[in-house]
Amino acid sequence: MQFSTKQSSVVTRDDWNSVTERATTSSSVAKVEDYHVTFTRSGSPVHALRGVNLEVGESEIVALVGESGSGKSVLGLSMLGLLEKTSNTSVTGKVFLQDRDIALASAAEIRRLRREYLGAIFQDPMTSLNPTMRIGKQLGEVTGSKSESVELLQSVGIPEPERRMSAFPFELSGGLRQRVMIAMALAGRPKLIVADEPTTALDVTVQAQILDLIKMSRERFGTSFVLITHDLGVAAMVADRVVVMYGGEVVESGTTKDVLNSAKHPYTRALLASRVTLSGDRHRRIATMSGEAVDSRISVPGCAFEPRCPAAMEICNSTKPHLCQVEDLHDVSCLRYGSQVDDLRLSNGIDSTQMQIRSFTDGGELREGAAVQEIDSSASDAVGKREIMITANDVMVTFKVGSGGSRAMLRALRGASLQVGTGEAVAVVGESGSGKSTLLRAIAGLNTPSSGQIELRAGSKVQMVFQDSGASLTPWMTVEQLLDERLVATGVRDKHERQERILAASDSVGLYRQMLSAKAYQLSGGQRQRAALARSVVVPPEILLCDEPTSALDVSLAAVVLNLISNLRKSLGMTLIFVTHDLAVARVVADRIAVMYLGQFVEVGSTDQVLSDPTHPYTKALLSAVPDSGSTPILLNGDPASPLSVPSGCSFHPRCPSVVGSCSSTEQYLTISPASRGHLVACGVALGGQ
Amino acid sequence: MAVTEVYLRGQQAKLPGQLRIRSQMFKKVRGNTIMAALPLIVTALVLLAPLLAPHSPYTVAGPAFTPPGHGGFLLGSDSVGRDELSRVLYGMRASWLSALAVIASGLVVGVTIGTVAAVAGGWVDSLLMRFTDLFLSLPGPVLAIAVVAALGPSLLHTLIGVAIVWWPFYARIVRGEIRSLSARPHLEAAKMSGIGVMRRTLRHLLPGTFPALVVTASLDIGNLVLTLAGLSFLGLGSPAPSPELGAMSARNLTFLLQDYWTAVMPGIGILILALVGNISGDGLRGLMKDR
Repeated sequence: MQFSTKQSSVVTRDDWNSVTERATTSSSVAKVEDYHVTFTRSGSPVHALRGVNLEVGESEIVALVGESGSGKSVLGLSMLGLLEKTSNTSVTGKVFLQDRDIALASAAEIRRLRREYLGAIFQDPMTSLNPTMRIGKQLGEVTGSKSESVELLQSVGIPEPERRMSAFPFELSGGLRQRVMIAMALAGRPKLIVADEPTTALDVTVQAQILDLIKMSRERFGTSFVLITHDLGVAAMVADRVVVMYGGEVVESGTTKDVLNSAKHPYTRALLASRVTLSGDRHRRIATMSGEAVDSRISVPGCAFEPRCPAAMEICNSTKPHLCQVEDLHDVSCLRYGSQVDDLRLSNGIDSTQMQIRSFTDGGELREGAAVQEIDSSASDAVGKREIMITANDVMVTFKVGSGGSRAMLRALRGASLQVGTGEAVAVVGESGSGKSTLLRAIAGLNTPSSGQIELRAGSKVQMVFQDSGASLTPWMTVEQLLDERLVATGVRDKHERQERILAASDSVGLYRQMLSAKAYQLSGGQRQRAALARSVVVPPEILLCDEPTSALDVSLAAVVLNLISNLRKSLGMTLIFVTHDLAVARVVADRIAVMYLGQFVEVGSTDQVLSDPTHPYTKALLSAVPDSGSTPILLNGDPASPLSVPSGCSFHPRCPSVVGSCSSTEQYLTISPASRGHLVACGVALGGQ
Repeated sequence: MAVTEVYLRGQQAKLPGQLRIRSQMFKKVRGNTIMAALPLIVTALVLLAPLLAPHSPYTVAGPAFTPPGHGGFLLGSDSVGRDELSRVLYGMRASWLSALAVIASGLVVGVTIGTVAAVAGGWVDSLLMRFTDLFLSLPGPVLAIAVVAALGPSLLHTLIGVAIVWWPFYARIVRGEIRSLSARPHLEAAKMSGIGVMRRTLRHLLPGTFPALVVTASLDIGNLVLTLAGLSFLGLGSPAPSPELGAMSARNLTFLLQDYWTAVMPGIGILILALVGNISGDGLRGLMKDR
């Protein structure tokens, strides 16, 4: 990728003024001007926001996109007037709501604004709904009348709204709870709703429903939305405008199309490049950003992104860029754009050699091996040719939950069968409650199947990478102690040899050697995942089981970890089972994809077969719900059914868009698709219809 | 360049082991550390009591009822002319060491039973915890009286009586902590690393119970000092000549109005010890919270 220094649209200081003018003249619902927020934590300043300008127009959906620590949530809270004004917080700049500077507003006035003008949706509706109050009563506090509450519940797509009125929050599923939250936010007919990661905790199919609901609410009520998200794909699905934040500053803003298709800022570009999507060459390593996210404790004289920027120039670490218009409605804060460079060149006499661009490589990640080779073609062939490494045969796992009268059976796995060949990478894909993690844990030996068998090739070692890598490291032990322990447990007596192997393992995962003496809480998210990986491979296992190792990580970090896992798998020749809810992630890591629903596989095939020819209706819906997939999501009815009460017949039939009468009575088993070899589908309707 | 310097310094601050402790945080931590370290200072002082005490606590050193500050008696002398300061120092020594001994025995028994119950689970857990409940239901002072009545009055017998009812608290804390730690992924990760149950318990579970245990135990010092003083006040402790704070207060109660110091000074000794225990508990809690 070549980084072009396009300077077609030269913007001057005057243009910048006109940008701000544009903001003041058009009708805006909310406006933020030169907003700074600095917290004091443990005596040192934390710069959460460093001069943000933002404007939200009438019935506009603006997506605030950024990674953790970018300040997007602080900005959201400020726009709700919820930022606590304590002695530890210093705020400068202005937030206007309804042309009213909320810094000057009285407490009563802010309350009025919140009541009549603002709505909020948070990530976890379980914690933002009152657990001790029935839904109807909570909603009634905002709506005032029962009939209006019911109407609202209906309008946010809650089935049987009358009945739900008397439900407590814990009785609803995550998707329904988020709908209630949206209903509450909409209740006062607000002009602006701030939604902070409203879909992050939800399954993809439910996420598609909720995003659709947000779009619908805008159309129906003319509400503006500020949608805070870490996922450019989510922004792409609903937003009119995207505002990208980094280190407490806006680095790029423009229409969704402009930002996604012709991103200018190196950070936005890197963020886009490191996204795992359903398009592009899946055998290539994902582009990554070097370094770690900006430390908000540091006051940076220049551009906050400079240390990680592949296109940084010498002036970048001393001169602060500001947001400049580069195209109509497209603003970028980068010294390479607009007049900023020209101005500087004139004033500082910088010659062209200092403007040299560091080449924009695809992921010059620290001490990682060379680019991954193409997966040899045999990988996608049927399992038959390889030696079998893992055989799961009709595995059932049932947990007893509750006690006394409310005792119930949770059927996590209801007869799952899978064969994995030596050296193969299989992705097990499914939503929460599908049993995918249970299968992984059963293979790891952490769960005992209630029936069925799991066989591993004799003498093969299994290691597992957990979703929450921080919690998988013993908090009071250093990384070195954990690695050493693993070596001792496998019988490496020689202390010197152990030391050597610990260093080799930490090098192979790109963990700085001085981090070996650190404990989990001293490491960043990426370093924790590296440390967890180092422990898994310090004694190379034959089988590596990964339980959503990237789902809790920022986009750029997830890319690094996925590359790392691919590299390790290649170099150590490991068999990989990778559990994920994200088909795009499955696509880059796996040779084969196995889709799971309610404890059974519904479709198994090579990555190409499953993704280019999805046959089971569930796979189709799952695929279409991947943000940014280009297709309109197939919206499924309701939430994934609970493994506590599995529907009869085909367990997917209550949500299936192509359901026929016999589905509710006929169980479905994996059957070879007549169209292609090795492609198994558990749906008679889909196979028959081909 | 100054700006660059700030920037570079900030970058370095990210490395572990080089975390800069800012002045404000440092002050708080230092305050808590001093509070937490008080028991060590007190332990050192009471162990040095034979060197610090100006007289023997048993021998008559001057006229009876000398007021504090007279005749070389800093805290006065008692009804038979023994040095009050020396007696209080020895009394504090006995109280403090007794409290530590009871806590130590409670920790050994409680941690063992709690750990075994939590790790074994199932019927072993039920059995051990019901056993614990049984001891929890015994009334402490009454049991101590019964033990002393059966075995004869001595400090050791009193301590046995108290120790019997003291360990169940620790057993419950340890069991609860271990059970919640067991649900964390780090334990499964350790299992996957091939680490045996013994080492898993000792290295991956037990250290996690220390913060709760240390805080509880240090708060218990004050509690125990008071309990033991109360028992000794009732006459359950070392027999007559030995300096014991509770007993000293009790015996000199009759002189409270004329020669107040004979009864008040031992009371102040008790107060100091109980206060040190509570303060150190608060300090430790502060330190654990910062972690």
